[in-house]
Amino acid sequence: MRVDRCDFSGYKVYPSRGKVYVRGDSKTFRFLNHKSESLFLQRKNPRKIAWTQVYRRMHKKGITEEVAKKRSRKNVKVQRGIVGADLASILAKRTAKPEVRAAARAAAITKAKTEKRDKETAKVANRGQSNAPKVSKQAMKGGKGGR
Amino acid sequence: MIGLKGLLNVIDNTGALKVECINVLKVKTRLKSTGTATVGDEIVCVVNKARPIPANEVIKNPSSSSNIQKIRKGDVRRAVVVRVKKTVQRVDGSVVRFDDNAAVLLNNKGEMLGTRIVGPVAAELRKSKGGAAGAGGRWGKILMLAPKVV
Repeated sequence: MRVDRCDFSGYKVYPSRGKVYVRGDSKTFRFLNHKSESLFLQRKNPRKIAWTQVYRRMHKKGITEEVAKKRSRKNVKVQRGIVGADLASILAKRTAKPEVRAAARAAAITKAKTEKRDKETAKVANRGQSNAPKVSKQAMKGGKGGR
Repeated sequence: MIGLKGLLNVIDNTGALKVECINVLKVKTRLKSTGTATVGDEIVCVVNKARPIPANEVIKNPSSSSNIQKIRKGDVRRAVVVRVKKTVQRVDGSVVRFDDNAAVLLNNKGEMLGTRIVGPVAAELRKSKGGAAGAGGRWGKILMLAPKVV
């Protein structure tokens, strides 16, 4: 079923309703009723007649409800895991008490410190073992010092 | 609704511009017949206004200048109505109405006199069957030549 629009008022024209008017320049117009047809033939401008769809669209009539509906939408926060940390581990971290966290931090610091100290001592020991006879760079090149 | 003394525009290139109906070719005493012509009906008409024939053409070859016989004011011809101002109800429920009454001139055999048609014609012309044109109904040629069928 084809539903057309009235060329003057902009209302829907269902089958068996309205009238088709063919002008001399072979342009066709469809009118819903005689009121629209009459006004069109009087050369009235539908933009200046308050009840037509064109006028209502121009003056933004009857579209306030849609705007209000659009504004009521809000962002909804959803908790979910990300790469490298699933939801359970994140929640555990967040719910942990401050004392526990402080203790964990202290432990981590002491551990890091001891590790660093160990490394340094190992380095010193290594240097001591591989103590080759000292040769200056100049001597290696065949300079004065070698003679 | 074209009756006696009804005025119509001529939309072919015969040279006639305005014709007046002097007879509707219908049996008017029949029960359902209206006696007035609408789209697709044949009428007899007299030419009220015609495009002037250039003077030099008449002097040079008065008998046979071209294939189209020139139409003068006062000539009586047959014609077929192709547009009417009165609303026409269609089978699908729609109602169509044109801006003016218009006709196309015919010879006595029912063939078009002109070779060209300007402006739209009504689709009701398809309904009449038979005639000289054959395949496209009686007014197949008119429908073919018309720039728009509404």
